[in-house]
Amino acid sequence: MKSFSFSSRDLICGLLFIAIGLFFAIQAYGLELGTAFRMGPGYFPLVLAGMLVLLGIIVIIQATQVEHEPMGPIAWRGLLFILPAPILFGLTVRGLGFVPSLFLTGLLAAFASAKMRPGTALLLVGGLTLFSVVVFSYALGLPFRRFGPWLGQ
Amino acid sequence: MHRLLYPLAATAIVALVSGPANAAGYPERSITMVVPFAAGGPTDTVTRLVAESMSKDLGQQIIVENVGGAGGTLGASQVAKADPDGYTLLLHHIGMATSATLYRKLPYDTLNAFEYVGLVTDVPMTIVAKKDFEPTDMKGLIEYVKANADKITLANAGIGAASHLCGMLFMSELKTALVTVPYKGTGPAMTDLLGGQVDLMCDQTTNTTKQIKGSTVKAYAVTSAKRLDALPDLPTVAEAGLPGMQVGIWHGIYAPKGTPAEVTQKLSASLQKALKDPNVVSRFAELGTVPVTDAEATPAGLKAKLESEVVRWKPVIEAAGQYAD
Amino acid sequence: MDLLNNLALGFVTAGHPWNLLFCLIGVILGTLIGVLPGIGATATIAMLLPLTFQLEPVSSLIMLAGIYYGAQYGGSTTAILINMPGESSSAVTAIDGYQMARKGRAGAALAIAAIGSFFAGTVSTILVAVFAPPLTAIALQFGSAEYFSLMIVGLVSSIALAHGSVVKALGMVVLGLLLGLVGTDIYTGTPRFNLGILELSDGLNFVALAVGVFGIAEILRNLENEHERDVMIKKVTNLWPTREDWKEMTAPILRGTAIGSALGILPGGGAILASFASYTVEKRISKTPGAFGKGAIAGVAGPESANNAGAQTSFIPMLTLGIPANPVMALMIGAMIIQGIVPGPNVATEQPALFWGIIASMWIGNLMLILLNLPMIGLWVKLLTIPYYMLFPAIIAFCSIGVYSVNSNVFDLYAVAFFGLIGYGLAKLRCEPAPLLLGFVLGPLLEEHLRRAMIMSRGDPTTFLTRPISLTLLLLAVAVLVVVLMPSIRKKRDEVFVED
Repeated sequence: MKSFSFSSRDLICGLLFIAIGLFFAIQAYGLELGTAFRMGPGYFPLVLAGMLVLLGIIVIIQATQVEHEPMGPIAWRGLLFILPAPILFGLTVRGLGFVPSLFLTGLLAAFASAKMRPGTALLLVGGLTLFSVVVFSYALGLPFRRFGPWLGQ
Repeated sequence: MHRLLYPLAATAIVALVSGPANAAGYPERSITMVVPFAAGGPTDTVTRLVAESMSKDLGQQIIVENVGGAGGTLGASQVAKADPDGYTLLLHHIGMATSATLYRKLPYDTLNAFEYVGLVTDVPMTIVAKKDFEPTDMKGLIEYVKANADKITLANAGIGAASHLCGMLFMSELKTALVTVPYKGTGPAMTDLLGGQVDLMCDQTTNTTKQIKGSTVKAYAVTSAKRLDALPDLPTVAEAGLPGMQVGIWHGIYAPKGTPAEVTQKLSASLQKALKDPNVVSRFAELGTVPVTDAEATPAGLKAKLESEVVRWKPVIEAAGQYAD
Repeated sequence: MDLLNNLALGFVTAGHPWNLLFCLIGVILGTLIGVLPGIGATATIAMLLPLTFQLEPVSSLIMLAGIYYGAQYGGSTTAILINMPGESSSAVTAIDGYQMARKGRAGAALAIAAIGSFFAGTVSTILVAVFAPPLTAIALQFGSAEYFSLMIVGLVSSIALAHGSVVKALGMVVLGLLLGLVGTDIYTGTPRFNLGILELSDGLNFVALAVGVFGIAEILRNLENEHERDVMIKKVTNLWPTREDWKEMTAPILRGTAIGSALGILPGGGAILASFASYTVEKRISKTPGAFGKGAIAGVAGPESANNAGAQTSFIPMLTLGIPANPVMALMIGAMIIQGIVPGPNVATEQPALFWGIIASMWIGNLMLILLNLPMIGLWVKLLTIPYYMLFPAIIAFCSIGVYSVNSNVFDLYAVAFFGLIGYGLAKLRCEPAPLLLGFVLGPLLEEHLRRAMIMSRGDPTTFLTRPISLTLLLLAVAVLVVVLMPSIRKKRDEVFVED
């Protein structure tokens, strides 16, 4: 048998399940529960939230029995550039219009990689924007404004 | 500093000058017509038919944009916030009036956030049941419903849906409470009605005409003032002794508050032409719906309709005690 | 003999040069759309609806149908190549297909998916032609009690999706069920779990969730060890399926086709379960269940066939009753109405050329797809040799466009970023996203049918046991559960086959 070890991965996972379960349970508790005939909006979620908490506890108990492996590196640079990209698109697509907004989004995402050089990025994203405009705006006729009101038109 | 301000000021001046002046040359570019429901639904269909015909008349493309969600209120609030330049319009149905009561926290003021273009069409409703349902006519249905209220299930397509409104009206007219069974949309509700899982439903002719003609459901009455050409054998609710059940899912075109009157007038004139377009007329007829008259397809016609309908539905919804928020 | 006449009429209609052209345009567009991550068939058909104004009704419907099953083909390509499912059905394909791709077997995975889909498409088209009316009658027997029991079978089976901890997989299913309930309660109109955000009143967007937890999370994981890996795969071994592959895929394709055809007929949720159910079956009866999740051929062949078969048979309720089985079918009905054809029980008799033309075109379209896709495989695999840092900005851009195009709602884009973060965190915790997606899709259905069944039975829970179809399904669920909960049986089996 392996010597006693503890998986921090499973511990976090279990705690996460419990936390999410409790969040839904508290929210569901404020809703009407109803009867078995006419179940209220809170009935089913409350049952599920209870199950999730229970599963979280089981995961934690099992965490003591599993041999642990390292979590591995975290893609900080990726998180910093990838996640804001769709948000940027959302913030600017109506104002700036489809073309500039997509260009900026692609550019932001491109820098998530340490290997990307500015020149390559501009070229790549420029081509990408051109392709997208042709395919989505002209060929598929998506109802996007190509250039938005922030640019004077 | 002034480098930053200059384009802003220029934009403001252009906007000020071009606003009213442009109304004469309107429309100079494509117009977006927002449908606050998913593509493919009955309201979407009505919108696309009308928009296509109006595009030809106005000489500019009308792009139909589906902004679904929250019973149509998401799309409506988007248009309420749009620039009042006539390039963003809304085609909404009766839900415009009912959501004023169904939603207690609307992000716009129903009666003051829009300019009016005109009414488009009135889709009547039909009272239908599963095909082996006992009563044979409307009179029989009323008696049967009153005697067996707690045994009968009444389907609707969700809170605020046409079938929900009609169902509420049916129960309030008959002063009885049936077991209501909500569905997520008309499709699943109709499926269960065809399969005999649920007893009764009141829904738009757009959804029921083919089923009635195919005898897969039993029809009792239509909620319009006159019998329909598409279903000549089906009596009206007034003939069946329930005149208060007269109800139609009316559709209207709106523009954001502050849109110049010249623009709404021009759109209204174009709408009136579209409603006489033989293609629109014949498609509407197949759906069992009739275009409104020229007098109703005007800003005043829509304004009057919206105001009276808000007042009409308030007590019905409050009596049912179900809100959408 | 009526059938032969009808089919002949169908093939004459579908074989008209214009209709062939529109069928081709449809399948090409569908494939393109399916391949681009984040854009599903629903969004595409919604976008193209206005174009169909100008066409003949038959042509426009043939084209729309082509987009629909073309997108299914294309969607599997993206799922296999970059682990990004655009529809719930290809979420399952991603599990083993992506692992095959990482092992350098992307070509084989794509070929297997295409061949399986074509076979399933052929069989299910015949089913639609021969059995449409009687099958519809069976589908109508399904009330809420039956659907609820069917969903239970689906959920119990979903445990098989796990290739790690079963408890965590269950947790992910439950989490998915809860996320599926965010929005507005359809029975009372009460808003739930929406944190006061109006955009959440219709629930979370499936595409945003899938793109986030699968696609974005996968990109982040690939960026972790940038310096170790330049391209997705280093070497590509045999582009086409080997003789062993053929042997391994035949039975799963047959079973997948049967499962998909049967479940596709059920409106509202049937087709969703098809690929999940097929995966479960394959894993359960496999001699090497341990290979699943690591690139098992049966894990691609079965679900892909099931998914395509289900897509075809989901036309049955629409064609015979005018009832949409899924959002795509709802759009097709919209397209018919715009064309002046109100779908209903009489379409087959009133518009025989249209009805049979669509059916015939389905088979023609599937044939076009396989002819189109097999030669493309080499190209797709080449795509994987592009340096990854050049590839992912395009993926992010397409996802953003795709998600935004569904509802023109910028909130969905913020949801992508949020679920990307969540998905990455869960991946770090070794929690798998596929069960989460299944739960998300089934959550609202499960609750809806449970509550409706209870309303119909006036609060009597025995309704699930007194209705024969429901009872049968529940017994099936118990049987599956017993098999799952007897690890001793499984262990013994594993041992037996280890010795082989």
